[in-house]
Amino acid sequence: GSADQKVKSKLKNPFLKVEDRRCRYRPFYLQLSSFPVVNYSNPRPCSPFDVEKKNAHGQKHIHNKQRNPTNSDREKRPNQVPPKHKRRKGYCECCMKKYEDLHAHIESEQHQKFAKSSQYQVVDDIISKFSCDFLELRENTPNVKRRKCNV
Amino acid sequence: MRDPAGEIGWVVTVGQPTLEPLSPGVTRVLEDEKDKEEKSPLVMEAIHLDEKPPSNAENSFKKHESNKKGALTDIEKLYQAVPQLANVFRIKGKIGEGTFSSVYLAIGHLRGGREEKVALKHLIPTSHPVRIAAELQCLIIAGGQDNVMGVKYCFRKNDHVVIVMPYLEHESFSDILDSLSFEEVRNYMFNLLRALKRIHHFGIVHRDVKPSNFLYNRQLQQYALVDFGLAQGTPETKVELLKIIPSETQQRSSAYHKSPLTMGSQVTSPTSRQLVHQSATKTANKRLSSISQTQIKQGHKRKEDPDCHCVQRSVFGEKNFNVRSSAFQGRSTVKQPRIMDIPVRKLSVKKKATSVVNNGLGKKAASSTQAHLTCDCYAKDSVCTICLSRRQQVAPRAGTPGFRAPEVLTKCPNQTTAIDMWSAGIIFLSLLSGRYPFYKASDDLTALAQIMTIRGSRETIQAAKTFGKSILCSKEIPAQDLKKLCERLRGKTTNFDNSAGDVQMHPSQEFPLTVGIGNVSDSAFHASKKHIQYQKQSTHEDGGKEKKTLQKSSDPKGWDRVPNSAYDLLDKLLDLSPATRMTAKEALLHPFFRNVKQ
Ligand SMILES: [Zn+2]
Repeated sequence: GSADQKVKSKLKNPFLKVEDRRCRYRPFYLQLSSFPVVNYSNPRPCSPFDVEKKNAHGQKHIHNKQRNPTNSDREKRPNQVPPKHKRRKGYCECCMKKYEDLHAHIESEQHQKFAKSSQYQVVDDIISKFSCDFLELRENTPNVKRRKCNV
Repeated sequence: MRDPAGEIGWVVTVGQPTLEPLSPGVTRVLEDEKDKEEKSPLVMEAIHLDEKPPSNAENSFKKHESNKKGALTDIEKLYQAVPQLANVFRIKGKIGEGTFSSVYLAIGHLRGGREEKVALKHLIPTSHPVRIAAELQCLIIAGGQDNVMGVKYCFRKNDHVVIVMPYLEHESFSDILDSLSFEEVRNYMFNLLRALKRIHHFGIVHRDVKPSNFLYNRQLQQYALVDFGLAQGTPETKVELLKIIPSETQQRSSAYHKSPLTMGSQVTSPTSRQLVHQSATKTANKRLSSISQTQIKQGHKRKEDPDCHCVQRSVFGEKNFNVRSSAFQGRSTVKQPRIMDIPVRKLSVKKKATSVVNNGLGKKAASSTQAHLTCDCYAKDSVCTICLSRRQQVAPRAGTPGFRAPEVLTKCPNQTTAIDMWSAGIIFLSLLSGRYPFYKASDDLTALAQIMTIRGSRETIQAAKTFGKSILCSKEIPAQDLKKLCERLRGKTTNFDNSAGDVQMHPSQEFPLTVGIGNVSDSAFHASKKHIQYQKQSTHEDGGKEKKTLQKSSDPKGWDRVPNSAYDLLDKLLDLSPATRMTAKEALLHPFFRNVKQ
């Protein structure tokens, strides 16, 4: 049986191990090079757990920002969003399927079939109870006449 | 890097994986992602945002133009996906992007002709209709009151759903953290807790409470808790659709992104985790499908004991995701052979990245009869093939690592509204310490280690026992005094009239306070300079109060007079044990909020 082939391994310090008290599940653990320390000398508002090289704080920060312009951009313009992060990979809950490319998947036959299916009735039922406060712009005559929207 | 959680607006649902702080082991993969991002059309986007909003005619012209160029902006794509939008709204720009949605600012005309700004939340088209409907139901039932975002309307075309919500212009938390007065912090927390009291009253667990999901308009003193995209229901929830979203589905974040990465020296294989989650999601979605088809209201209460998952079939009649029985394996192999691969890791604990080896042993050992085999590794500093071949516990963990409660981080299957209270405590900790993000961890156990550093290892271990978890920590770390911790981290501009002995030195940690104390005049100067800046910004708000504060206190922002009740409340929100953690209702009655203006 498996007991013959049992291989045991000691965790290396420092570590953290979490297990179910009834031993029904696989333990999970983390071995660190060093345990976290509250670093009071990190400049505000940085996390006290920010791991920066002790000697070259400031430099490292600047370096990081240069390397990652999207992030520093975001800090300056909180209400606008930097260009899209192309997250193409993912999992489709509708098709119960992993995909490599979001757009390719959405256009796939299987997904399109779902998209046009009656599965969305549960959403439409809710939508049907809304009333729209907004006026509808008439096609190609914006800002002239409006009627109540009826979408 | 100041804000890994992303202050990009307010739908950053799950910790955006490509922006999260990275542990060394994962850096390479994600940096590749970043490189790609940097090449995306920044310039085009920026120009578009500055443009006058397109009318229908302009819009179709532009569509034509950009089609010629071969690239559509996100706004144009949205108009195309949901054409009804163009009849009602002028979309001005994208204001937020998360894993599962993007948010746009748009302008519509109300019946009287008055313009109104709205936020359009475009959900990722891979969202399950029941999840979409549940999010809408949360907004309808709980929203629109007590600082909970409401909903105005919703558009759908096929798989594209756009939720229309009132727009609240808001601050970036990291931008204002430094300049907030103590009184503003008190009001912020009071209003956050009001929102949480409201959603918890309806049995909604938000799961992703963090500053970017709590909009704050400082000028107007308006607040809004947003984004129910990861919400779950309590067993008594009044949001019916939340009852039929199995919590396993909430793990879509992990299924999406954590997959190809190895987490530092963590031996747990992310690949296997991903596969488990994936199958979990599948199963969950089978439930979703069957329910949304039949529209039966089930009195199904999710069983808390995960054991019932592995032996019985669920009430929906599908196979259980958490089983590794050979029967299940056989059936699944046809469709998804990989899911049932039980990875047994080579015990290469000395290596940084771990290799996944399928040696066949795991499959045997993990069969349902052997899953309960015990070994002598329990509560010891070792692991073996027996314990490692047990099935992985699946518990909800959607959200952002730094805001996850200990019971989430340790995969406790029974999670309550208390997890939101923990997150509120983390926000409070940020506000009191002036640090954001406070915890900086890319994985759950690093986050747990950081929590232990603040709350103590013994205390954390003790609390974990109450929810069925054994934590073994190679190092004993004392709990910190929250007041001293926050004051030191805030680098008080103040303590010059307090006794400096108040702050306890910790020999093992370097502590630069000596510098601060040595330069009292410097820090006082710094404080007054900041105060002038702040007065400029805020002449309209709180004018009278500011003056009063000035007379009474050396710190115009009141940070030298933080009452002990603040730290008492913080202590009760950061209660390591979910059963005793303070509820929102209780917190609002805490002495800290005495005389808060409502
Ligand atoms: Zn799909």
